[in-house]
Amino acid sequence: MAFFEYSDKRNPKILVTLGFLLSLILPGCSPPPLPPEVGLAERMNHDLWKAQAHVYASEEYQSYKTTLKNIMDDLIREEARFIWFRDYEPIAERLKAVLRDGEGILEKVQERKEVKRVNTTRQLSDLEERLTGLDRVSLTINEGRLARRSLIKAALMIKEAGLFLDRGDYEGAASRLTMASGYIKASEDILVPIFNRYTDKTLIKKWRRWVDEATAESREKGTSAIVVSKIDRNLSIYKRGRPFKTYEIGIGRNGLSDKLLAGDGATPEGSYRVIKKLFRSRYRKALLLNYPNDEDRREFLRLKKMGLIPKRAGMGGLIEIHGGGKEGMTYGCVSLENRDMDEVFKLVPLGTPVAIVGTASPKDDISITPKKVGDD
Amino acid sequence: MKRLLKYFTYGLLVMFILAGCAKQPTEDINAAQKAVEDLKAAGGEKYIPEDTKKVDDNLSAALNEIKAQDSKFALSKNYDKAKQMLAQVKADAEKVKTDVPSKKEEAKKNALAGQEEARASIKEAKALLSKAPIGKGARADIEALKGDIKGLEDSVPELQQLIEKEDYVVATDKAKAIKEKADGVSNQIKEAMQKVKGKEGGKK
Repeated sequence: MAFFEYSDKRNPKILVTLGFLLSLILPGCSPPPLPPEVGLAERMNHDLWKAQAHVYASEEYQSYKTTLKNIMDDLIREEARFIWFRDYEPIAERLKAVLRDGEGILEKVQERKEVKRVNTTRQLSDLEERLTGLDRVSLTINEGRLARRSLIKAALMIKEAGLFLDRGDYEGAASRLTMASGYIKASEDILVPIFNRYTDKTLIKKWRRWVDEATAESREKGTSAIVVSKIDRNLSIYKRGRPFKTYEIGIGRNGLSDKLLAGDGATPEGSYRVIKKLFRSRYRKALLLNYPNDEDRREFLRLKKMGLIPKRAGMGGLIEIHGGGKEGMTYGCVSLENRDMDEVFKLVPLGTPVAIVGTASPKDDISITPKKVGDD
Repeated sequence: MKRLLKYFTYGLLVMFILAGCAKQPTEDINAAQKAVEDLKAAGGEKYIPEDTKKVDDNLSAALNEIKAQDSKFALSKNYDKAKQMLAQVKADAEKVKTDVPSKKEEAKKNALAGQEEARASIKEAKALLSKAPIGKGARADIEALKGDIKGLEDSVPELQQLIEKEDYVVATDKAKAIKEKADGVSNQIKEAMQKVKGKEGGKK
């Protein structure tokens, strides 16, 4: 009450007038409006989010958000000051600067998105090209289901990536393409080693020699010869050096590879002879071949010496041409439909030369070089 | 005069006390926050992302306004604007939330229809394959196509998983891709069958 007493003593009229004036001025005094940049900066924040700045410029966007938050906190502090002392000008200036940053980030995001779009589109078309090549290779070398399963999965992923690209989701597209790449790699791992053997000129020359030797003997001695072409999945009977009849066959589960050791599921390649005719066999009838021959033994020992074959491994044997159907996979033998086996059995005498080769007719169209994943 | 001064002082005190009583609108805050959380839980971010983000941003703005009022001098605290903003956030969140089920249902419907179509296409391809005569020249093709169908069949469970995870947009894409590939396989089988027929015709 000292204040009032003191004032009272001085000039109570002035005090009352001041009081009235204050009570009139204070409620009537409206605060200065917030700078328009506040709304603009908030809208920019939303635009940046919408443009996926958190994906394409995450660091810059994070810094933008932090700066904006600091400014907003200062704005709140400024708003808390007494009306007459509020000054939004410095905050407006800082907001203008943050808006300029936002514009810059937005541009950066658009640029990076465009780069991502172009790169993803290019990657998609590269993978499509590789897929087409492998598809042709798999059909050319008749190599089957496992590789095809991976190839179709890769094709599905590529298709999905295309749909993501259309929606502008480049990150999603890229992740699908990575998966597609994995499937392509898996099918390449199956196809490429086989493919490489079937384009190896030295091997092709050797195969040709074996076929020539067998057919030449048939021609010179006026007898029969058998040529098995693994890649074509067929067995041809030659009479007097001329092709007589061809049958479809089945081969080992790892049939397109050359047999190296017992249990590898591969069908041997080489120049053989029919050494026994089995009228009764587990697979109807069978023609037993002289596998392993001298060349097979030499090769086996050489590879063993080099450590490419386990020391305890055996060579295997009992390789036959037998019935039982061409659809199943054998342990390395050549199988025919029973009726075909009956025919072959009749046509072929003991001692008939048998050439088992990768391909009896090397094709030009096999020279599709599939690009390996990661080549580019 | 003394009396007048006395009343003025009392009036000023009452004003101080009244203004000092302005409290944070806690209930409004809780209600708005709950509405936004409910919207997100209903799948707002997935099915109506932009509107959900807007509502979320508006909630942040309302909370900032409260923060601004909190730090003001007791006499000038005023939460009216914040209350208004919170009420708007709550109303918007509830409105957007009502749109979520229809959007979700639509996405689910598309995914399920896609799944059905994909399955039908695979079934058709398999049926065609079983009828295909494995003749000379076509056998390798048929073998390859068997592998293709197996690959497509392997992808169907992935599609089902996506639907179960309510990832309908990706599931729809996958279904579309499977269907397209399965139709492609069917066409190839038909071509292979034609190849065999053509060769048989040539023998006559």
